[in-house]
Amino acid sequence: MQKSLIGLGFTMALLCGASFVHAERETEMFIPIGQSPGLSDKLTIIGEVQAVSADGQTITVGTPSGSHGATLTERTKIWLDRSTVKLTNLYGSSSDVQIGRTVEIDYENHTPNGSARWIKVKITEP
Amino acid sequence: MDQPSHYNNAPNLIFILLIITATSSALVLGSCQSIPNTDPESELIAKGRDIFFNETFNGNGRTCGTCHREENNLTIDPAFIATLPDDDPLFVAEFEPALKENFENPRLMREFGLILENLDGFDDLPNKFTLRGVPHTLALRTSIESPQGPRTGWSGDGAPGDASLRSFATGAVIQHFTETLNRIPGVDFRLPTDEELDALEAFQLSLGRQKDLMLPLPLKGTVAKRGQEIFRDNSLGKCNICHSNAGANASFGGQNLGNANFNTGVEELPDQPQDLTGELVPPDDGFGTPGDGTFNTPPLVEAADSGPFFHNNAIETIEGAVAFYDGESFNNSPSGRFLASIDPDGVGIELDGTQIVEIAAFLRVINTLENIRQSIESLEQGAQNGFAIRNAARRAFGAALNETNDSIRVLEGGGLHPEAVAHLQEAKRLTERAARRLFFRKRPADAAIRELQAAREQMVEAS
Repeated sequence: MQKSLIGLGFTMALLCGASFVHAERETEMFIPIGQSPGLSDKLTIIGEVQAVSADGQTITVGTPSGSHGATLTERTKIWLDRSTVKLTNLYGSSSDVQIGRTVEIDYENHTPNGSARWIKVKITEP
Repeated sequence: MDQPSHYNNAPNLIFILLIITATSSALVLGSCQSIPNTDPESELIAKGRDIFFNETFNGNGRTCGTCHREENNLTIDPAFIATLPDDDPLFVAEFEPALKENFENPRLMREFGLILENLDGFDDLPNKFTLRGVPHTLALRTSIESPQGPRTGWSGDGAPGDASLRSFATGAVIQHFTETLNRIPGVDFRLPTDEELDALEAFQLSLGRQKDLMLPLPLKGTVAKRGQEIFRDNSLGKCNICHSNAGANASFGGQNLGNANFNTGVEELPDQPQDLTGELVPPDDGFGTPGDGTFNTPPLVEAADSGPFFHNNAIETIEGAVAFYDGESFNNSPSGRFLASIDPDGVGIELDGTQIVEIAAFLRVINTLENIRQSIESLEQGAQNGFAIRNAARRAFGAALNETNDSIRVLEGGGLHPEAVAHLQEAKRLTERAARRLFFRKRPADAAIRELQAAREQMVEAS
């Protein structure tokens, strides 16, 4: 009986715990690079894109603490941060992640060098 | 014999001296009691309160308090909305040209208290949105923690950034405070600072209950008492599985699962009021993008006076909300099927009319008990505030009055505890008297507290 209750509890835990809370709230796209509350400077990396693989799916970013890799997956959200030129932020694509551009990367499970959950790309020209 | 004139003036002089003495005493007492609170947490909460109700973040005029009204259980509903003037910032989409399209649906806001949110993205504003009610922000201390992290908002993913309650305000400003749909920080609004987020979080966590109830309560009312039994019966009501101790946390097999998300089939309800209007109401897919159909579990202690119910305000009454779990939409949902799978008879939730009303009566009574607790707390606070901080006293008495009014409404709505209602009516009268007074407020406040305690004793055995 005890075992079956524990089993049911475990099933219940799976049922209600299936959703990891860090699904991305879409308002994130309007938050400028470096200002994401609780993430920027703690769990994300901010730096300049140093390299992009031929297929555009892997990038290397140079930060003050060294270089970090990131993999772009079909789940990765890419946003264009145009806040410095006072324009609305836009949805982007992997082609916007270009060498020399400043990016902020939030990793899935906050594991550096893994898959990117989202990437913000700073756009400095109107 | 004629007396010197100064003798004739003696009574006047005494009167003036008395006035001066009384005024000085009041000012001294008042100033003593208005010494700034040096408790850093209290200061942070006070700062958070000020931001919550007054800060527009250079946006369209809305504040957090625009939707989370202090005088209405930190939420809004159609009846409350109907009392607001047309120039209230809530209606900004009706008078601000830049927000006329794709920011709110004014008809559904006024008729059903629904607020527009772009939960699945901002790339197709005319068609991609959800319409949700405003959840109250009471008892957050007890209702957002889960093993997977904090769960905020109706689908548990309300905050950007680290998904915490602290970060929630940033998302709310972007969604609801913007001057135009461009949503450019520094142009259409400003983002909250770290200090403001800290204060807002502290204030929100200070609201309402700070801990869960410990059921069963020694209730006196026959109907509510039976309602509590059904609520806690994991083979009948099964409510306590997801709403442990009538809170927002799930508990099963001895395990506390924290605040959880479930797909209970609310979206599958037929004839949802907003769908009957002919307005575009896209389906709400809940948690995540695309959503997984799950929604967050709210606490139930605060439910009876904070309807309408569910994420889409689909059901107006607490009885209707309980009855939902007896219906096909719930029993065919993943959660309903799960309950059926662990039931020896393969039943999800099956209740009869009397049992539905009994559970609702239980929820009405525990809501009233919480309102009384809050009323007493506010009255005590109001009575302590001196002349010099009469605004704080007025606010405290106002809060007590709101809670007492809610208590009366909640009990009367269920035909429950008429003797308790009589005590509550008297408590209301005394609270109003205390609120009107500049001095000597403690006496009517204390009398109001005694009436509230008497009302409570009608409903629950003294511990």
